Amino acid sequence: MIERIKEISGQNASICMQCGTCSASCTGRDLMDYPPRQVMRMIQLGNQNVLNLKSIWICSTCFICTARCPRGIDIARLMEALRVINLRKGREVLIAEKIPLEILTRVPQMALTSGFRKLSA
Amino acid sequence: MAEERKMVNIYIMGKHYKVPYGLTIMKAMEYAGYRFVRGCGCRGGFCGACGTVYRKPGDFRLKVGLACQTMVEDNMYLTQIPFYPANKATYNLEELTPTLSTILQYYPEVTRCLGCNQCTRICPQELKVMDYIAAAQRGDIEKVAHLSFDCIMCGLCASRCPAEIVHYNVAILARRLYGRHIAPPAKHLAKRVEEIKAGKFDEEIQKLMKMNKEELQKLYNARDIEP
Amino acid sequence: MKIPYFPGCTLHSKARGLDETTRGSLAALGVELVELPEWTCCGTVFPLAQDNYIGMVAAARILANAAKMEGGKLATVCSFCYHVLKRVNYAIKNNSEARKKLNDYLEENYGGEIETIHPLEICKEIIGLDAIREKLKRKLKGLKVACYYGCMLVRPAAEMNFDHPENPTIMEELISALGAEVVEYPGKTTCCGSYQVLNDMSLVKQKVKEILYSASARGAEAIITSCPLCQFNLDWMQEKLAEENNGFSKVPVLYFTQLLGLTLGLPEESLRLGEHYVDPKPLLLGA
Repeated sequence: MIERIKEISGQNASICMQCGTCSASCTGRDLMDYPPRQVMRMIQLGNQNVLNLKSIWICSTCFICTARCPRGIDIARLMEALRVINLRKGREVLIAEKIPLEILTRVPQMALTSGFRKLSA
Repeated sequence: MAEERKMVNIYIMGKHYKVPYGLTIMKAMEYAGYRFVRGCGCRGGFCGACGTVYRKPGDFRLKVGLACQTMVEDNMYLTQIPFYPANKATYNLEELTPTLSTILQYYPEVTRCLGCNQCTRICPQELKVMDYIAAAQRGDIEKVAHLSFDCIMCGLCASRCPAEIVHYNVAILARRLYGRHIAPPAKHLAKRVEEIKAGKFDEEIQKLMKMNKEELQKLYNARDIEP
Repeated sequence: MKIPYFPGCTLHSKARGLDETTRGSLAALGVELVELPEWTCCGTVFPLAQDNYIGMVAAARILANAAKMEGGKLATVCSFCYHVLKRVNYAIKNNSEARKKLNDYLEENYGGEIETIHPLEICKEIIGLDAIREKLKRKLKGLKVACYYGCMLVRPAAEMNFDHPENPTIMEELISALGAEVVEYPGKTTCCGSYQVLNDMSLVKQKVKEILYSASARGAEAIITSCPLCQFNLDWMQEKLAEENNGFSKVPVLYFTQLLGLTLGLPEESLRLGEHYVDPKPLLLGA
């Protein structure tokens, strides 16, 4: 699994020194079950549960973790790899039919395009 | 003595047949013994019922055509896609507004378009399918209506779409919205309706109603035909 | 001068105000934006998986088409479009595999020559702020404005190469030139929650609340942005926040081009100030 994550993301999580800058900066940390630093640790340890975290679907790919990582890890790419592994097996969180009409008819369509690309299979 | 007819080899759903050169795919399939119950309609290239996918040796690309319009070629591999079980929304046109929100409400998947262009490549009507989906995505209903005007709803675009968009159903929604809510009402039609209501044609209709079959036939055969 | 222009889907529908004020303002400053003849959605997000090339196809086609026009540049104002076009171009230029795969698929021969340029950059670097000052029909006279960049414009810095990633000032420089008073606040490059509005609205509500409180507490009378999704989230979410929080005071959220258009004297209807949830008209046109 670790190899697969490395392959899809092009990033090496094992150089992470667990400083926590990513967690401190993260947009969605308050709603995540495990903030980015802990996600990184789980990848380092090869913990399979990392694929089932809520955190990977809360990430809004704002690149603040990537921008600030002192080890130069593109953390957003690792989060994407965790999503992609799920999405390619058909596991998704954003289901078109379930989006409330109130939002569907109001949001700029770019939200749908980006949401579908990141969160639906 | 009749000249021997040139024959070609075709493969229908993988099975080999020899059929005469010069037939359409539809005629060739009937020659081979197939009987069309579905997947065949007007036989004139308009109804869109006989979408067919084929490939020729030496080319990895799939080609498409309507079975009633495309000639068989030697070593053609083919199969028909007469129906595609694609998403189709139901709505009351009178209640809709011709806006992006309406498109997104019924077909939010248009925003999943990847821009791969396979739909345009496969369209047997040579429509700019990807471009009209792009127009749908930005709410330009008039453009969708114009670009998709010649769509015969064969469904081949949907069969190729990695984003699972149903292009032809999006397009007909747009054309309906355009026709009902955007296009200005035709003045000549309104005028004619008024004339009918005012009884301008009553006398003529009554005359026709009283005619017998032979008289009607004679009148029909002698009618003005547009060149 | 003329610059090829990619509006993006949202600017042709939900964010017409951004489109019209961008074109109108730049035209008033002598730059004509020439819309690409045919264009599709750019894809909105840059694919981060190493093996996802299909996610770059749409943006690559747009760039290849822009290269067939004159000027060597492509202007786009939506932050998402700008982000994707710039990063896909970077990939085509610097990653030979991406370049080969995309060109093979599209049957094009594009090497990454196009420079994607943002109207903020056009204002500062091509037109010049002094030239803008001279053309103003009115000034904002001390209007307190907080500039909100969000995430897509500035990060990641190496590929975006757009001002400073932690403390960009290009929007502040422009808005000061228009006579506004800049409100400094810590939230200008945080994320509004973006597309999570579809999936987890509580995230967006929380982020928007933080950004708005941070700006309001420092006296902001208006917030400006260049992103239609930030605009929507910051604007629409205020209705929900007002329902849930007593004494919540709403702040109009505008496109920076609307203020530019206002000061350049564009006709009021083309500013489309009436299309926001929090009405900015009393602040900008009243009294």
